Amino acid sequence: MSYYEFFCPVKVIAGQAALEHVPYEFSSRNCKRPMIVTDKGVRAAGLLDKVLTAFEEGGMDVTVIYDDVPADSSKQTVKAIAKEYRSKKCDAILAIGGGSPIDTAKAVNILVSEGGDDIAKYSGAGVLTRPLKPFIVIPTTAGTGSEVTSVAVIADTEKEVKLAFASSFMLPDAAVIDPRMTLTLPPHITAATGMDAMTHSVEAFTCMAKNPLSDAYASAAIKKISANLPKVMKKPDDAEARLEMAQASTMAGIAFSNSMVGLVHALGHSLGAICHLPHGLCMSLFLPYVLEYNLESIREPLSELLLPLAGPEIYAMTPKSQRAEESIATIRKMRDDLYRDCKLPRTLQETGKVDKSQLDRIAQATIDDGSIMFNPREATLEDARAVLEKAWG
Amino acid sequence: MIRERLRPLASQAKRGYVRLMLEVVGRSMEAISQVDEQVRGEVSVLPNGFLFAMRVMPNGPALVMRKQRDGSLQYIGGDSAQKPDLSVQFKHLHHAFMVLSFQEKTAQAFANDRILVDGDLGYATRMTRVLNRLETFILPKLVAERAVKQYPDSLGLPEKLINGARIYLKVVTNFVDTVRSS
Repeated sequence: MSYYEFFCPVKVIAGQAALEHVPYEFSSRNCKRPMIVTDKGVRAAGLLDKVLTAFEEGGMDVTVIYDDVPADSSKQTVKAIAKEYRSKKCDAILAIGGGSPIDTAKAVNILVSEGGDDIAKYSGAGVLTRPLKPFIVIPTTAGTGSEVTSVAVIADTEKEVKLAFASSFMLPDAAVIDPRMTLTLPPHITAATGMDAMTHSVEAFTCMAKNPLSDAYASAAIKKISANLPKVMKKPDDAEARLEMAQASTMAGIAFSNSMVGLVHALGHSLGAICHLPHGLCMSLFLPYVLEYNLESIREPLSELLLPLAGPEIYAMTPKSQRAEESIATIRKMRDDLYRDCKLPRTLQETGKVDKSQLDRIAQATIDDGSIMFNPREATLEDARAVLEKAWG
Repeated sequence: MIRERLRPLASQAKRGYVRLMLEVVGRSMEAISQVDEQVRGEVSVLPNGFLFAMRVMPNGPALVMRKQRDGSLQYIGGDSAQKPDLSVQFKHLHHAFMVLSFQEKTAQAFANDRILVDGDLGYATRMTRVLNRLETFILPKLVAERAVKQYPDSLGLPEKLINGARIYLKVVTNFVDTVRSS
């Protein structure tokens, strides 16, 4: 008999004019002095202006804007933002961005709620024991799902390690999904983050901690991604399709944060750390090869995924015994289409940034990654090396 | 009525079983770290003096191991004054009982949120692999298949028997040495 836990208390505010709900969400929590945490890219794309207009029209002032979060946020960045928050007597945080601003804001919220200057003190799981300050997230990519996850990763540049934080108290109070925030995403980021959300869903549906609730979110997310990723690649300003992708990303985030992920993430984390490739691209690179490796352990759930991946006609036409293979073929075709549309690499070789001599190091890091615990097959060093060899191309 | 009276006895028996099994696992991990190259490879990346604990929350039975300078693990008992570098904690006695009576695989217990990890997750995956390797050697194949995620295809009967015997012999020798020195 199975057992599972499922938890997602994040209020999801999604759709047309969702941004305009943000001032109310703060005032209803008795917050008057919110701080915005974001990055230069968000400001340059004009996305910050849309949020500021929503605040202005909503009759609320933003107390301070920190727009200098780097791509790989560090302890020092978190400390500097927390100092600013305290000096301006802020009472809530609004994160706008992709993974880095959101993770940074989660870490800042720990410091400003718990006190102190050293975020490293709070690393690990289960360290926090009480609710933090009001915290709202507006994602600007459709992929990470960070707006509904209870984890954050911050670099300790002095010790050259990544600090991981995990606590349900880090979950935002609300996630605001507004199609305007992803309309201007460039094609290669749209593709990579879309495949990130796809991987979250597929791993959530096929790894060891899968459960009926995460399955429901994962399969619904896959259906949305399969239908809408091609649309936004062809027509980037399709607001309807952008909203569908953003919702799919949030749903995939809810799925994987309640079921964990597996070998694709273990390999992807290692490749990203060693070769400095974006996370979404790393996911896309490994997904079909890991599914092939896991095939005999996941044949049944992977067969089920053919329906949301390819639609009812192909599902019905494919013999039951071939559906798992057809699911992998559909994902491969999706990657071929993305390569055609924006040159999103399909193999390690195509990235041009990985040297074959690095594969041993990546394999070694892979078997030390926590995600490997939840992979349905017991992946050894040799197995990881073999998957890397196939992904080399 | 009789069932009511037997319930405390059953709980005591469960607690006793978990305590005994944690000691058996601790001593067997010490032994396998002395004889198996694969386990020595897993342990090699842990810093010297690294303390690993597996315990039942909140104050239940536990095992504590220390990484030695010679690369092996030493079983140091059911408690330690020093805070462990890595602590793997079962949320309830019954969860530990299910894993230690091979009704639930260790990896499945992690997936089912029955275990909390305090420390480096990478080291936790290594220690889980050590535990799995131990179980494949010392348990009959039918039981080991229930305890580990995947029974290794490459493990033949001769290797299993020889290594299993070496581990059991080491456990007995280490146990006798402990008794003599105490």
